[in-house]
Amino acid sequence: MSMSTDLAAGIAPVEPESRVRNQARTQRWAGFALITPALTVVALFFVMPLVLSAVGAFRAADGGFTLAHFAKSIDLYTKDIVFTIGIVGLSTLLISIVAIAIAGYLTLGENPRGVALLRWLYRWPLFIPFVVAGQVMRTFLAKNGLLNHVLIGTGLIEPLSAESMLDWRGIVVAFVWKQAPFVTLLLAGAMASLDRTHVEAARNLGAPRWRVLFGIVLPQVRGTLLVGLVLSFVTMLSVLSVPLMINPNSPTMMTVDVAYRISTLSDYAVANALCLISLLLAAVGAAFYLRHAVQKAEGA
Amino acid sequence: MHISRLLGAVAVGALIALPGAPALADTTLNVVSAGDQNMVDYVNNYLGPKFEKMNPGVKVRAVGTGPGDSGSQKIYEKLSAEQKAGQNTWDIDVAVVHQRGAATMVNDKLLMPYRNDVGAGKLVSRDTAKNALGANVDGYVLPMFHSQIAFAYNPDLVKQPPKSFAELNEWVKKNPKQFGYNGVKGGMSGVGFVTGWVAANSGIADKLEKGPYDPNAKAQIDKALTGLKEFNQYVVMTPGNAGTLDMLNRGEIAMGPVWVDMFYTWVSDGKMNPKIKLELPSPGLPGQPMYYVIPAKAANAALAKKFIDFAESPEVQADGIVKQFNWYPGIDPQYVQSKLDPAAWNKLFTDISPQDLSKYGRPFPLSEYFTDIVEGYERVVLK
Repeated sequence: MSMSTDLAAGIAPVEPESRVRNQARTQRWAGFALITPALTVVALFFVMPLVLSAVGAFRAADGGFTLAHFAKSIDLYTKDIVFTIGIVGLSTLLISIVAIAIAGYLTLGENPRGVALLRWLYRWPLFIPFVVAGQVMRTFLAKNGLLNHVLIGTGLIEPLSAESMLDWRGIVVAFVWKQAPFVTLLLAGAMASLDRTHVEAARNLGAPRWRVLFGIVLPQVRGTLLVGLVLSFVTMLSVLSVPLMINPNSPTMMTVDVAYRISTLSDYAVANALCLISLLLAAVGAAFYLRHAVQKAEGA
Repeated sequence: MHISRLLGAVAVGALIALPGAPALADTTLNVVSAGDQNMVDYVNNYLGPKFEKMNPGVKVRAVGTGPGDSGSQKIYEKLSAEQKAGQNTWDIDVAVVHQRGAATMVNDKLLMPYRNDVGAGKLVSRDTAKNALGANVDGYVLPMFHSQIAFAYNPDLVKQPPKSFAELNEWVKKNPKQFGYNGVKGGMSGVGFVTGWVAANSGIADKLEKGPYDPNAKAQIDKALTGLKEFNQYVVMTPGNAGTLDMLNRGEIAMGPVWVDMFYTWVSDGKMNPKIKLELPSPGLPGQPMYYVIPAKAANAALAKKFIDFAESPEVQADGIVKQFNWYPGIDPQYVQSKLDPAAWNKLFTDISPQDLSKYGRPFPLSEYFTDIVEGYERVVLK
């Protein structure tokens, strides 16, 4: 945006006014023509289905306007909506802790072998699809699954007290396991590009590593952390496979309810209403993201 | 077994992918099947090749439209579009659909009556050949197979399995967290358990199956579901149809509702403890057939009838449906038994006798009641 005004301002004094205007107009049309295919695809395949889905959420069987689908969604699924917010919120919190810990060690760690090993190891879950993560957790966290076998084998818990973690805990574990590396990747990148002199100055003055992390490094990469967390929040909100494989029963996440309304009851209206509610939740994340982006643009 | 199936699939794929290959077949019979992938495999790898061998110049091509009622819905939408476009011939010759789909298609005049035109039409005996969830489909359908939901239990842990829903209700209180099912959002074996519970405890079982629909029955349904809410405190919720089987196999639960065909397939694949047994409780659990139907303007109707007649023959029902795919036969079992070696027959009927099957194998409720029950479950049990 700013580039085109710069361009116009730069050209204006040397050219006759009308020609400039014509040229600018042609350029503008050429620009539109260039992005038309992309815009058409976006409008046809993203905007239109979204609008149709939103319209469907308010349309009664006879075609009139109704809020009945929202009433039904709230009536049947309030618990699931709260559950979804809780799961995704808790996961986001845990992801931030894990990501800060790993990225902090990668930046400030003093054992080169440890750092290299961690750097190699932490990215693995990035390349594993959610559905596979769900499937892995399903056997790992079951009552007689691998985790409990290990805990019993090492004598940490009694066989009788072993319980299945295939409920909200399983979903949180799967989400954190899958998304923490993503935030870590962004965060470690941002930390690596910081000016090392600050860190070294603080270390020279005797600050322990945790103080350097929280007092010097983290405040400078706060924005990146926020962006990573918002993107994870929105991604987790839309995952169907993990809750479906780990805990599709009540309470469960909204994605399962949407799939259920469609596949068992062919009820697109309530599914649309639920989608719109989920969109509102994602919009909260988007608002954070935009505010940060605006701040950054203003700062720059 | 698996490798040969895989090779078969690859060979079929290669045949389709070779545009330069000379046309081997003069006629292509298009079979479109709703349901799980194993049903498409059944036609492509088992039924199709046999039929092609008997009918030179014919090529059978099967495609799947996906599991559940939504799979049948896709077939309905295609036929309905062809009907509205006024086409003279439609490009599906044989379709395999669920009960609800068949009812809608008959209602919209999308199907051709054909049962009296094929010899095997006389071999069917169950009510489902005439009635699909309350809709009259007499003449338009032949059941390909029946699948049934039953309780699977571990005899090491359960010496005397409860014989009815009432006994089960007592049993779970004495053995908390030993019974598991998958609710209504994790697949049909859980949904079937819930409709079975309502049929057993609402006192309107007959009305649920045969109609007429009465919106006021919701009160009785909700009352039965209130009992289920209490029952749920003593049970484990499992993640899906396969989740119930998994937990049974790992010994985490001692009992739960499963699809019989899925259970036997898991046993024969070595994924399930073969000691686990099945039983059908009184007054019954639901099951459902898949139907062979012929669209009203199928391009190759005569060939389609021949194909279905072959698919319903006692030999194919015995070897393909029962022995290889562990489904209950679509035709009367008495015609099938003589074509099977006793071992294969016993495998399918050891735990659940044909008598029990005909007594306690119920249909699903009418679609309106079905919706009332699953929505009631969300309102009464889950909230």
